[in-house]
Amino acid sequence: MAAKLCCSMKNLQFKDIIKNNNLLAKEVSGEPYKVSILNNITTNQITPILEYALRTQNINVDCQIGNYDNIIQDSITHNKSNLVIVFWEACNIIEGLHYKINSFSAEDYKSLYEKVTNELQFLFQNLKHTDLVLINSFSSSAFTNNLASTNQFDRFCAELNQFLQTSLPNNFRIINIENIFKEISVTQSVDWRYFSMSKALYTVDFYKHYTAKVLPYVLSAQGKAKKALIFDCDNTLWKGILGEDGKENIIMDSQSKDGRFFQEVQYIAKELYQRGVIIGICSKNNPEDVEEILNSHPDMVLSNDFLTIKKVNWQDKASNLKEIAQDLNIGLDSLVFIDDSDFEINLIKSEIPEITCFQVPKKLVNYPFLIKEAANLFYQLNTTAEDSKKNEMYKTQALRESSKKQFTDMTSYLESLDIELKIYQDHKDLIPRMAQLTQKTNQFNLTTKRYTESHISDFVANDTHLVMAFEASDKFGNNGITGLSIIKINNDDQSAEIDSFLMSCRVLGRNIEYKFLNSILQNLAEKGINKVSSQYLKSAKNAQVKDFYEQFGFSKVLEEEDKKLYQATLSDLKLKPIPYIRVNYE
Amino acid sequence: MNEKIKNIIASVLQIDDSTLEDESSPDTIEGWDSINQMNIVMALEEEFDIEFTEEQILNMLNVKLIYITVEEALNNA
Repeated sequence: MAAKLCCSMKNLQFKDIIKNNNLLAKEVSGEPYKVSILNNITTNQITPILEYALRTQNINVDCQIGNYDNIIQDSITHNKSNLVIVFWEACNIIEGLHYKINSFSAEDYKSLYEKVTNELQFLFQNLKHTDLVLINSFSSSAFTNNLASTNQFDRFCAELNQFLQTSLPNNFRIINIENIFKEISVTQSVDWRYFSMSKALYTVDFYKHYTAKVLPYVLSAQGKAKKALIFDCDNTLWKGILGEDGKENIIMDSQSKDGRFFQEVQYIAKELYQRGVIIGICSKNNPEDVEEILNSHPDMVLSNDFLTIKKVNWQDKASNLKEIAQDLNIGLDSLVFIDDSDFEINLIKSEIPEITCFQVPKKLVNYPFLIKEAANLFYQLNTTAEDSKKNEMYKTQALRESSKKQFTDMTSYLESLDIELKIYQDHKDLIPRMAQLTQKTNQFNLTTKRYTESHISDFVANDTHLVMAFEASDKFGNNGITGLSIIKINNDDQSAEIDSFLMSCRVLGRNIEYKFLNSILQNLAEKGINKVSSQYLKSAKNAQVKDFYEQFGFSKVLEEEDKKLYQATLSDLKLKPIPYIRVNYE
Repeated sequence: MNEKIKNIIASVLQIDDSTLEDESSPDTIEGWDSINQMNIVMALEEEFDIEFTEEQILNMLNVKLIYITVEEALNNA
């Protein structure tokens, strides 16, 4: 099924969203993704809109609305959901608060502030172990007309936001609803008739925009954030057709009427590159013509320094995009493709529906906004030092690929790489990166269990879990923290269970997994553990590791359609030594 | 136009158009609850680019009354 984007939803009527959502519900399957909406206003209209947006991304969502004005109690009963969204409207903390509070005495004001901040702390506490919680900023914008002075309601909201920001737990994120008011205006966002009749403050339009804000968080938490942004060149990175108009006549400078939009798009792409997003080009052109522009056109912002991959040739674009995914070792559904041509966009949509496509808008003034919206799809819940280095790693990956060709057999090639693993054990500084690895790694991932930073920090702190990560480097460069294993230790009977075992696709094909497993098992043996269990949980993407544990003599104790469970006695296992990889412990 | 209105009501309620009659109402159709009533009103306003008054919304008690109210709102627009 084609991954339709939320932006297309903005043009869909509410009745069509309801209808399409019901159709999609029958198509999308898989592990249910539970979303709970807790509220103190009526928010039921969000359900079909949010469900539709997530289902178009192939997420089998199950959305539940909490009881009206029952946030704290519901936060206990809904804390097992994958995502909790909190609509805590200041205007309805007490009915009519938005007008009543303005004549409150200082004492009443203070005691209400204390009551609400106390309740917020209960909420934080109750949802401590929930994967992800999104809470809206408190807003007085819909209720205030006087721009000249602020009133107590404005102040109340501002102070609550201040409190949220300073005490927010790390599994919470704030959705700043002022941004939606800026996009579509307060008048479009709220409907006073429904608010007075049934406390339904927000409009369908509001929920469409709200959902677009929620989607990047969900994609990231589900390991579905996009990884590469690929541009066509002519009329996409610059105005004009290089092969026809000539290099003097293509336009991308801020002084010309249309050039400025292309320049802005190039700057956005450059910023994304610096954040670790792969930026590439895929264009039908003579490669030497495009090289000349990339190297020497004075207005070209997105020069070779900020491009990870290039496919400039006369092949069809579907084949080129497939090659890009292969060369970078990422899934096709990690690609976002931008082109101005109806033909190319339709070709890719029909040939490779997994790729998310955006067409350069006919009204160029909207082009930078479109790219900013696309940029949200690359959002990562946890950004780490690894991200900014990532593009360097993808480039060395290409070097490695070319050096591979000199060797006829794989082992002598791997020996020549001078690979080193540095192993970190229960290392606090790596918690964000380790959480990110569980969220992002799809292919080499035995169980695909997604963990948040708070889960990982619990594991690191407790001796019931052993958390081991590695940093891999070779003569071409350092790949950073690219592998992780979480092992449950049962101290009562000296046994262990490998809960997670995963590696980033950047370091595949070098037998690192064998060396890492050896180190883990050696570590367990030193702890006096001899019985180890492990598992393979099937996902849409991890078929390559389905027989991983069989290779070492783990015995299968259970095999079902979507999982295999293993057990082994350490001393009986046949491990692969891999002498050419060196191991250090941090 | 009544067909179009009926189609919208049916879409929101996730039922077939043909099951709706003039007298169909929240009392006769399972799933036509207060939330769906609001969804129907919002979908109609979007479709016809109209805005009902609170009184009109409260009067939309069955399919036939919805036809009448939409027509009234369109005439006043």
